[in-house]
Amino acid sequence: MKAFAYVNPTSEKEAVAALKTDGIAMVIGGGQDLLSRMKDYIDSPDRVVNVKGLDATVTATSDGGVKIGSAVKIVDLAEHAAVMSLYPSVAAAAIEVGTPQIRNQGTVGGNINQRPRCWYFRNEEFVCYKKGGSRCFAVNGENQYHAIFGNDGPSHIVHPSSLAVPFVAYGAKFRVLGPNGEREIAAADYFTMPTLANVLKENVLDDEDILTHVILPAPGNVKHGHYEVRYKQSHDWPLAFTTVVLVMNGVNGTSGANGTSGSTIRSARVVLGAVAPVPWRSRPAEDALAGKALNEATAALAGEAAISEAKPMSGNAYKIQIAKTAVKRAVMRAAGIKTV
Amino acid sequence: MIYGKIVRSPYPHAKVVSIDLSAAEKAPGVKATLAYMKAGDEVHYQGDPVAAVAADTEERARDAARLIRVRYEALPQVSSEAQGMQLIGPRWSTTQPNTRAGQRAETGDLDAGFKQAAHIVEQTYSTHIITHVCLETHGAVCEWDGDKLTAWVSTQGVHQCAQGYAQALGIPQTNVRVITQYMGGGFGSKFAPDSQGIICAKLAKAAGVPVKLMLDRKEEHLDTGNRPSAFAKIKAGVSSDGKLTAFDGTSWGTGGAGASSGFPLPYLYQFPNRKRVHTDVYINAGQQRAMRAPGHPQGCFLTEILMDELADRVKMDPVEFRIKNAPPLAPNAQWVKYFAEGAKRFGWDKRHATGDPTPGPIKTGMGVSAHLWGGAGRGSTAHVDIMSDGSVVVKCGTQDLGTGTRTLVAIVAAETFGLPVSGVKPEIGDTLYPFSGGSGGSTTAASVTPAIRVTSLNALDALFAKVAPTLGVTPDQLAAEGGRIFVKGNSSKGLSWKDACKLIGTEPISVDGKWEDGLSSSGTSGVQFAEVEVDIETGIVRIKRILAMQDCGLIVDKLTAESQAYGGVVAAINFALFEDRILDRVTGQMVNPNMEWYLLAGMSDIPKIDIVLNNMPERGVIGIGEPPTVSTASAIANAVRNATGATIRSLPLHPHKVLAAIEQERAGGTN
Amino acid sequence: MEHLTSPKLTPGVHCLSLRHKGMYVTSMPYPEESQFYDSYDATAYWCVETQRGFGPDGASVRPDCCTGERDCCKH
Ligand SMILES: Cc1cc2nc3c(=O)[nH]c(=O)nc-3n(C[C@H](O)[C@H](O)[C@H](O)COP(=O)(O)OP(=O)(O)OC[C@H]3O[C@@H](n4cnc5c(N)ncnc54)[C@H](O)[C@@H]3O)c2cc1C
Ligand code: SF4
Repeated sequence: MKAFAYVNPTSEKEAVAALKTDGIAMVIGGGQDLLSRMKDYIDSPDRVVNVKGLDATVTATSDGGVKIGSAVKIVDLAEHAAVMSLYPSVAAAAIEVGTPQIRNQGTVGGNINQRPRCWYFRNEEFVCYKKGGSRCFAVNGENQYHAIFGNDGPSHIVHPSSLAVPFVAYGAKFRVLGPNGEREIAAADYFTMPTLANVLKENVLDDEDILTHVILPAPGNVKHGHYEVRYKQSHDWPLAFTTVVLVMNGVNGTSGANGTSGSTIRSARVVLGAVAPVPWRSRPAEDALAGKALNEATAALAGEAAISEAKPMSGNAYKIQIAKTAVKRAVMRAAGIKTV
Repeated sequence: MIYGKIVRSPYPHAKVVSIDLSAAEKAPGVKATLAYMKAGDEVHYQGDPVAAVAADTEERARDAARLIRVRYEALPQVSSEAQGMQLIGPRWSTTQPNTRAGQRAETGDLDAGFKQAAHIVEQTYSTHIITHVCLETHGAVCEWDGDKLTAWVSTQGVHQCAQGYAQALGIPQTNVRVITQYMGGGFGSKFAPDSQGIICAKLAKAAGVPVKLMLDRKEEHLDTGNRPSAFAKIKAGVSSDGKLTAFDGTSWGTGGAGASSGFPLPYLYQFPNRKRVHTDVYINAGQQRAMRAPGHPQGCFLTEILMDELADRVKMDPVEFRIKNAPPLAPNAQWVKYFAEGAKRFGWDKRHATGDPTPGPIKTGMGVSAHLWGGAGRGSTAHVDIMSDGSVVVKCGTQDLGTGTRTLVAIVAAETFGLPVSGVKPEIGDTLYPFSGGSGGSTTAASVTPAIRVTSLNALDALFAKVAPTLGVTPDQLAAEGGRIFVKGNSSKGLSWKDACKLIGTEPISVDGKWEDGLSSSGTSGVQFAEVEVDIETGIVRIKRILAMQDCGLIVDKLTAESQAYGGVVAAINFALFEDRILDRVTGQMVNPNMEWYLLAGMSDIPKIDIVLNNMPERGVIGIGEPPTVSTASAIANAVRNATGATIRSLPLHPHKVLAAIEQERAGGTN
Repeated sequence: MEHLTSPKLTPGVHCLSLRHKGMYVTSMPYPEESQFYDSYDATAYWCVETQRGFGPDGASVRPDCCTGERDCCKH
């Protein structure tokens, strides 16, 4: 690993200032992703700026939501009382990340901004688009864990962050601080589909920007469901997963005035993970759910609708079936129906 | 001490054009560099060693290694068995052919056998390549004192490593000492210094200080061995009453760059008429090494899946069908007994026919499978000293690769002397101690424990000779038990071990001994049962239970014997579901040389494992390191078949294969 | 076991530097194994001089290659 300078700022502003350099500066949270990239010579920054000293709290906002500091540990997010009650799918996603060690070391900021786990990206031998090369090795190569949605290229990664998916589903905003001040970006707009121009990154952050907070709006009258399909039980990545957030007709989704409309879905957010270069919002699934009664048949319809846009690669069509199942079971969980 | 790092070929096949060490020589902290290959040499796999460097820290050694400029001329590579078998296309070597005819065997009359068959199954079966994944990687620390070398090596054979160092370095073997106090797994991949051990010694010589060179995980996957792949097109027949009649198999596989890939086929069951033709295919990938029961897991899988398909054709229960076709009961052939006993213990009567009829996405199923191994030993030598203060040291130049050999040495000596285990000091893992074989082939327990027993008895005889006059009896009237030496039949007439040893005087009892026939034997059998749950909407397999019926002759120590069985089963669960060396089909480079995408079961992926050991003291000691890992994967695959009704004829049981097989079955099956 | 005993290396024919695991473990042939399967060769070979599966000349190390006519072959 290349020798580097280490900067330990005490404020957001100092952190942003520290990122200004002639060489390459990178932010470090828990460091699990950055350090492994450095050890494998995928990245060789001259300066590493620690952001674990930034806000590490989860606080209530005035409108009934919560504000999560980027330095919050994944484990603390998973076990936070307000998060568990208001955004159970965030807690569910957090508790499934990696292993206890990873969750205890990993930060919210690091999890959202971690780089792809594509095995071509992670092995030095393959100089792909994401490393400034001019091809995606996955196209003709080993793509069993690559994208099944949004496969127009040039890169075919799946976005690695588990937390990003429920954040998009709950309509979170990400607060970003840069040299020109702060801005708030909808989580759904934070992550970018690859183009030749921006394939070196997965989101809108500029080199001197940091993510400081995730702001979750009050959930409102919703039902939630989260479902992950994993090959191994731990120390592994999901093959596909889904968060659904359903806005229900009637109070708290219980029976409405005439006793019928209460369990119908007014609108839905269906977001899939591990299937596309970004957390993948499935409009067809959302449309399939809107106006329907919340039951197993509707769940199955949503699953079918979700995969209507799928475009698999040569070796990953099996993930379509898995994604369909994840959507169906996430909706079933939202309905309180037992799933396996 | 400084640190070594090897530069390896990123290409699976190339010619070295030039090696320039100059930039690395000038890098901070660098104490030695070395060109391992030379211009014009051919590299045959990704990870082929090319050059090396040693520096004062591990990080600096890694950085400096990247400054060694190697220019290559890339050559077309062979990345798969199918590619290797093509008549035209890339060659794995510029001078050697892609394939080589392997063993060929024919017994009985194949045509007649197929005529007797009421049903015939014709399918292709295969197993994949996995690497050893020793948690402790390969490597050594080498220190020179003039022309004397001391090497601390992670090895399964200290004496064998010493020979390797001596001959590779051109020094007398008497100048080499190899030490392995403890080590973290070898599984058949650590019998020699290997290239990294010799590079380490050469760097240490050049730098004039000790060098530590341990491989990293990527190097482990690329260059320290693997289990070869196995493929076979099989046609097999069964008579209407469930007797196997004929087996015709054409098999192939790869052991990587120029290495063989044989495996037993058909395995265990009695096909009176059979033919088998094998071809070794060479590809540009790391070479195979012996891996826990070499050949057996492959042959077992290929045969056992076929067995369940045949059983279904004759509508017989798989256990019953196997009993009918297994070799007859014998001390080294306990299968028919284990099938019956195991079925009872496992609740086999609750097994449904192929295809779980219950509604819902979760299907459960049971499977069974059998295996055998030899496990005989010989040749170990040992030395025992009993001191006048009563302390005892047992020395044997074996090594403990994590199996508990050190414990066995102490247990056997302690029991012989009638002492607690703590009363004996076992000294192993050093070429200063008497010769013993490498720890492989499940031969260690059967080689070492008889030697320890014989040597300890010799020492005890010597002690009895010293003690007898004091007690006024002849030595043959004495016994040692419970920390005392006493007259047989009159236990009050005796001395404590300590007092007895005082009679030894100033010259310790110091005796040698060696393995003798009669305390060990050969041939183990085992049967395993598996129960799984398959989610047919996701293709995910979860193993619920494993039952392993196993013998290993006399069980010297239940804990360590069971531990071998647990470890073997866990390794086989990985073989069945998770591990897979994946080469990029275009570049031939490994995409998962790590522990992230090279999947390994975690705690939560391991089911309840029941080990039932059949103690057979009359047979003496037989090894158990390898057999328990052979049949687990086949039992699991058969359980998946039983659950889903779909047959998966290749490993690993990845969700994509499970889903594809289920879909194929829905579309009308594969028959 | 088969893999430990099958590679019959013949002094005078095969190179003295040829190695396989069976030479390094003190095994005993399993007399009855032919009852359970036919012979096969799962053996991994290496050269004691190079400590790898390629000889000093860079070619494969196996009993069929490590014999008389090869330059590096030692008797
Ligand atoms: C076997 C395995 C399984 C895993 N499974 C999962 C899983 O299922 N789901 C999942 O989500 N993850 C999984 N992970 C990944 C793990 O969760 C992430 O590596 C971890 O969350 C990263 O957090 P960190 O704080 O350590 O990141 P760091 O390494 O500190 O940072 C990651 C990246 O984000 C940047 N960064 C960090 N903080 C900020 C910030 N505030 N602003 C801007 N940029 C920032 C860094 O520069 C760096 O590039 C797995 C990892 C492994 C090894
Ligand atoms: S998917 Fe992306 S990261 Fe992977 S090889 Fe293609 S371009 Fe590179």
